[in-house]
Amino acid sequence: MTGIERYVAPASLDEALGILQQGEVTILAGGTDLMPQTNAGRIGFKPTLMNIRGVAGLKGVTLDGDAIRIGALTTITDLLNDPLVKKHAPVLAEACDHFASDQIRNAGTLGGNINNASPAGDTLVPLIVLDAVVELASKDGSANGAVTTRRVPLAEFFTGPGRTKRAANELLTAVRIPLPKPGHVARFYKFGARPALDISTISIGIAGVRKDGALTDTRVAFGAVAPTPVRAKQTEAALEGRRLDGTTIATAANAARDEVNPIDDVRATAWYRKELIHNMTKRMLDHVAQA
Amino acid sequence: MSLKHDIEFTLNGVRKRVTVDVAMNALDMLRDVVGLTGTKYGCGEGECGACTIRVDGTTLNSCLMFAVDCNGREITTIEGLAADPKADALREAFVEHGAVQCGFCTPGMVVQAAHILDTNPDADADAIKRGLEGNLCRCTGYKKIVDAVESAACCGAK
Amino acid sequence: MNVAEKPVIAAESLIGQRIQKKDAPEKAAGKTRYIQDMVVPGMLHAKILRSARVHAKILSIDTSAAKALPGVHVVLTAADVPDQQPIGVARDHLPLKGERVRSLRDEIAAVAADSEEIAEAALKLIRVEYEDLPIVAGPEDAIKPGAPLLHPAPLDADGQPKALPPKTPIAFAGKADNIAMRFDYTHGDIAAAEAESDVVVEDTFQLHYVTHCCMGVSGVIAEFDASGNLLMYSNTQVPFLHKREFAEYLNIDPSRVRIIQPPIGGGFGSKLDIYPFEVICIFLARAAQRPVKMVFTREEEFLASPTRQPVLLTLRSGCKKDGTLTFRQVHTLHDNGAYTSWGATTPFVMMQTFSSLYRVPACDYHTTVVYTNNPYAGSFRGYGNLQATFAIEQHMDMLAEKMGMDPLDFRMKNAQDAGEVTGQGMTFKSCGFKECLTTAAERSDYRKKHADNIAHRGDPGPVKRGIGIASMLHVGGGAKIYPSDGCGTILKLDDFANVTLITGASEIGQGSETVLSQLVCEELGLPISAVTVVNNDTAITPWDVGVHASRTTFIAGNSAIGAARKAKAKILAAAAKKHGCDETTLDLRGGFVVVAESGEPLVELARLMRNLHFSDKAELVMTTFYYEPPSVHQDKGFKGDVSAAYAWATQVVEVEVDTDTGIVKMTKVTGTHDVGRVLNRLGLEGQIEGGVVMGQGYALTENLIVENGVTRNPNFRDYKLVTAPEIPEMDVTFVESRDGEGPQGAKGVGEAPSICIAAAAANAIYNATGVRIFGLPFTPEAVYRALRGKSEKPHWQAWKPE
Repeated sequence: MTGIERYVAPASLDEALGILQQGEVTILAGGTDLMPQTNAGRIGFKPTLMNIRGVAGLKGVTLDGDAIRIGALTTITDLLNDPLVKKHAPVLAEACDHFASDQIRNAGTLGGNINNASPAGDTLVPLIVLDAVVELASKDGSANGAVTTRRVPLAEFFTGPGRTKRAANELLTAVRIPLPKPGHVARFYKFGARPALDISTISIGIAGVRKDGALTDTRVAFGAVAPTPVRAKQTEAALEGRRLDGTTIATAANAARDEVNPIDDVRATAWYRKELIHNMTKRMLDHVAQA
Repeated sequence: MSLKHDIEFTLNGVRKRVTVDVAMNALDMLRDVVGLTGTKYGCGEGECGACTIRVDGTTLNSCLMFAVDCNGREITTIEGLAADPKADALREAFVEHGAVQCGFCTPGMVVQAAHILDTNPDADADAIKRGLEGNLCRCTGYKKIVDAVESAACCGAK
Repeated sequence: MNVAEKPVIAAESLIGQRIQKKDAPEKAAGKTRYIQDMVVPGMLHAKILRSARVHAKILSIDTSAAKALPGVHVVLTAADVPDQQPIGVARDHLPLKGERVRSLRDEIAAVAADSEEIAEAALKLIRVEYEDLPIVAGPEDAIKPGAPLLHPAPLDADGQPKALPPKTPIAFAGKADNIAMRFDYTHGDIAAAEAESDVVVEDTFQLHYVTHCCMGVSGVIAEFDASGNLLMYSNTQVPFLHKREFAEYLNIDPSRVRIIQPPIGGGFGSKLDIYPFEVICIFLARAAQRPVKMVFTREEEFLASPTRQPVLLTLRSGCKKDGTLTFRQVHTLHDNGAYTSWGATTPFVMMQTFSSLYRVPACDYHTTVVYTNNPYAGSFRGYGNLQATFAIEQHMDMLAEKMGMDPLDFRMKNAQDAGEVTGQGMTFKSCGFKECLTTAAERSDYRKKHADNIAHRGDPGPVKRGIGIASMLHVGGGAKIYPSDGCGTILKLDDFANVTLITGASEIGQGSETVLSQLVCEELGLPISAVTVVNNDTAITPWDVGVHASRTTFIAGNSAIGAARKAKAKILAAAAKKHGCDETTLDLRGGFVVVAESGEPLVELARLMRNLHFSDKAELVMTTFYYEPPSVHQDKGFKGDVSAAYAWATQVVEVEVDTDTGIVKMTKVTGTHDVGRVLNRLGLEGQIEGGVVMGQGYALTENLIVENGVTRNPNFRDYKLVTAPEIPEMDVTFVESRDGEGPQGAKGVGEAPSICIAAAAANAIYNATGVRIFGLPFTPEAVYRALRGKSEKPHWQAWKPE
């Protein structure tokens, strides 16, 4: 007994948003998170199960003005091999290479990884340091229902484990990543003894524009050290505009260790997570400085 | 009880129409509804790859796929691959290289290996290992599996 | 083919060839039907309700709602099976628990229903009331004064211990303490040996929980025929022992129990005991009078399968200045879990390693196996030897360092040779130990790398390289534990000279049917494809003690050879008679009877077979052979030559330690194994490689986290098996010591490759970093803590019972 009363597989965004507007919908995309989470009883089905895989126009990567736009149904494998992503957001492709396994990358979608809102979600940290913005579409309550879209910076999108600012009637349709400025660098690190198939113990994203031996527009984000992926403002402040030398790097790594507040779980203790944040932030910054 | 739904899809080249529980996964559908047991249950969570199938030219874990999502798609299981002469060389390589012990992971390994060679015919050992990272094996230590896939890659088999 | 057209047939041997596994084509095509795939018409599906509490009294069980659910056929609790008998090595375990649960895996009720979903739904309707009891969370707690008892004696109405007949099993009579088993072994004069030691080291080692993780989860199908005969489809590794035991539990004659073994999705020792789910499935089938199938989920497999036994081990070792070992003293404490399975008996194997891997004049060994509220430990490939070797081989490095000796020289000085009779009475008729040591060391460039790594420890950069060596001794010719360690074979040749090899030895994926076919074909001069193996039905196959102790190739192999030689003698005698020659001048090659000296074919074997069948004196070529190895049972002091042969191996492990993260990458394993003789090179390599990677998992990644009786990571997400990209480069070579008793000179090898890896990895991490870690596993955090001086050394006040 699942509690599902209706199964729908809309073909258009309009139709999908109309169903969402009626309320009480569980959205199915790749299924790679929904299936195990519902099996384990961690989440329950709403009365309507809506499979959005057939919704037209939600898949693929395009150049859209000063951003690349990634449709929510784009799979992780698509991202890994996409020339636009490789060119303009290589750090995202790199993160996708550390994502689960080939089979899961083939099924799992970017929109799903974002909406699953795991603190350890592999694409979230690189997207946050790339200043990614999500597009949320919805219909208003009127009879012919105009479709409206709002944009939310990904860094502000998550409100807790499995929770986001997406309203129940909204569909995450795309992610926009601004085209990098000249001198932009970005790095991603995911801790693990395996190359991929591993829930992140910690992950680190660092980005910025290199100018005269310093980083500006610095972005640092951490995964799996808080209920959501987080921007590390103090670490960013320790780096912003400062010459990337040994002292700056040491100060930033210490700030990183001090500002995260992780938990103990079966994967690691809080102490070890803080140590990893420190050591690997330092190592990544060393690499940026040497590059 | 649970909501049912009719789906139609192509299974190993044959059109199929079945009724499934909406929350059922494709693995249970294949094994219990259709009766093809070559695809194995290993964990039910996408961590072991024993249930790997090919869907529309890519591979995925059938335990993570909703059976209803098979609607309209083209699905190949190990049974379909076993009947495909193009896959003969790969299966023979598994046999010849000693890549099979208890054999429980083998169907998933073969389906995934075929996909690796489809997408990257020149895959080297490292690429093959990465391609198989979602397929657990407890018997072989993987080396002979990687050797088998590598040899099939070398002789141009897909 | 006409004999005249056939040219001379040269003698060719199959021994040492790369023989493809007979069952591989079916498996690679997905056509093999495992127990999970089997459907018996009319079968029901069963599920078990397990305890929600770690340790509790059961106050009440209400199954009424479950019984009322449509589609439910039977719901059973202990009250419904008053005839249930205790299972397990110590008869301390009732399959269904009615009064008390002692671990989270404990079985309280079981349902047989039309579908798994209905059975699952029914479980949720069963109400159990518990009264919690204090938890014994670990072995040290179990032996504290006043510790809660796991199996307290039942009391009568007056609160007095119930009067029970002698020899009442523990399951009914209870036990006055938490000690499940004890093992005490001694040879030599420990005090004198310590007095003459120049260097003594003492350390405590801690070994963790791991579990088998067979890719095929546990399953069984049970059905009764109209006469009450039981048929089981089971993945057991010991069908003949099970047949007898099931009969005992059901109080029926063993002739009424038949076990068929479908192909198995991995064994590794996990299917060596009888488990509650099997007995419960039989009860359900008996009650329902329908076939009943029970298959675990992966989570259930993690929660309710046996584990390797966690061990606390204090080792004291000594040697003289010249590098001669003087003594070893060992105290170990084993976490048995709530019930006793084969895990409790691993000290049999552990003490062999302490007493006999190296020559040691005095050895004093004590194990206490205690009950706790944890999952219970079973048998697992290597059977205690991984734990023992982990301690011994670290001490070998530590002693060598203290004396300023090269670790390899120190080992060579103390290594066993052929002809040695050890303090424990083991007789090493063949022994390639020293050749294993030198070969593995040379191939890996051990000496140079070991010295170089120490020199480079202080270099800048976070990644340090290390190399470590470890060796092992394990039974390689069976182990005489049961009244017989034998195996029977029936060999039948048909009128096309095709062979049916009917053997008691089970195939569990390791390739036994292939190597047995090979040994038979070597005798009969036939291709492997001429052999059909029947090995999975107790109604057909001759007796065998089961798949364990790395015994199958050795014991079943000798048995198969014995039957084949009898058949060959019969064939050659018939051919000699027909062709008027002396049978000693004849041989079998390439499907022909040939003149041995010239290779000239005399008659096609198939033709000869037909002649025999259809002649006046019609005769079948069908032979039987039972092989019993010339080993002996140990005496009460654990002394005796328990195996017909002993296997040796040395493994050199190379690692890279990232000191910023604690991640240990195993880069290379160089293994040299004394296998007696290489039979099927392909199968042998596969066993070694698979075992090495299993050892890698034990050392680095696998860790079943049990806290206060709760298994925290019952899934592959957090219980990490090694994946393909993580495997080391493997250089595997063989020493062929040609054991006189072995089949074609071979010895057993199934367990050997997993045994040394963790010990060698520990030595490699030390070589890389100068930090010695005494507890497993070497997960990144554990290693990082050790590197930062943040981990406590395992500590245990070695406990000696009165």
